[in-house]
Amino acid sequence: MSPAAAAEAVSDDALLVLYANGDGRAAAELTARLGPRVFGIAMRVMGGRAEAEDVTQDAMLRLWKMAPDWRPGEAQVSTWLYRVAMNLCIDRKRRARGGYVDLDAVPEPPDPGRSAAEQMQEGARQDALQAALMQLPERQRQAVVLRHLEELSNPEIAGIMDISVEAVESLTARGKRALAAALAGRREELGYSDG
Amino acid sequence: MADESKALQELEDMFAAARADPPALPLHLNTAILADAARVQPGGQTAANVRAERQPMWRQLIEAVGGWPALGGLTAACAAGLWIGMAPPSFVPDPAALAGYEENGTAVPYDSYDMAMVLSEDLQ
Repeated sequence: MSPAAAAEAVSDDALLVLYANGDGRAAAELTARLGPRVFGIAMRVMGGRAEAEDVTQDAMLRLWKMAPDWRPGEAQVSTWLYRVAMNLCIDRKRRARGGYVDLDAVPEPPDPGRSAAEQMQEGARQDALQAALMQLPERQRQAVVLRHLEELSNPEIAGIMDISVEAVESLTARGKRALAAALAGRREELGYSDG
Repeated sequence: MADESKALQELEDMFAAARADPPALPLHLNTAILADAARVQPGGQTAANVRAERQPMWRQLIEAVGGWPALGGLTAACAAGLWIGMAPPSFVPDPAALAGYEENGTAVPYDSYDMAMVLSEDLQ
């Protein structure tokens, strides 16, 4: 087994225990596994890169500080981390309420495998999706992002958001309908034909 | 109804495209996260602690007295002291005389030979 494959075989739980026992490499592996996912969720929920970076760093810092008290097997590290990240997002949104616009938000880098027109269209669709997400109420947005972009199960989302599975289903269903309605007026602009 | 289902399908396509192209963790953020991890790691993984943690006890003792040069000086001083004690130069006063003891016949009632004689007489 290669060192990379061996590292992949170690669970997040075990890596966190290794970190708490002083293994510096465990932090790098956990960051590689969980950092991009937390950052992705924070980007979608916050709608801006700078805020998402702050949330990600803060959430990871709380993970490091909690490591000595972690009890393996009781919960998933990723679930705990998502929950912290979501709460940080809510806190920041509450503090920023009053018309904050993140000028630091930058579009995704273009994919060189596609034509310029396709890249622009895909970029426009993703921007439209993000704009529609930002119109959703906070909890609906979180549920939709966790369900449809992070592909977490409803019970896991319920654990993260501290609500029932039924409430998750209701939030995601209403969120999807609201997104579809918000995007309906931009179908032609986004290159969707009526055929 | 058909419109809603089409809109939901297009939304699913957008979700799929977003999932296929997740944002990467910026390098400076990755660096900051790892710096935080090192700073708050239990046992304090600072450079000094890492060095101390990896060194055996004898090496830490040597470092505590000032490293190899200090240990060399300490060894030389010990050797000189031992030599002066065993073969003092003529100008060095006898420390026993300085403390008020004089070497004479009554100073030590029994040397080892006399003690052996006393014990042997008791046995007889």
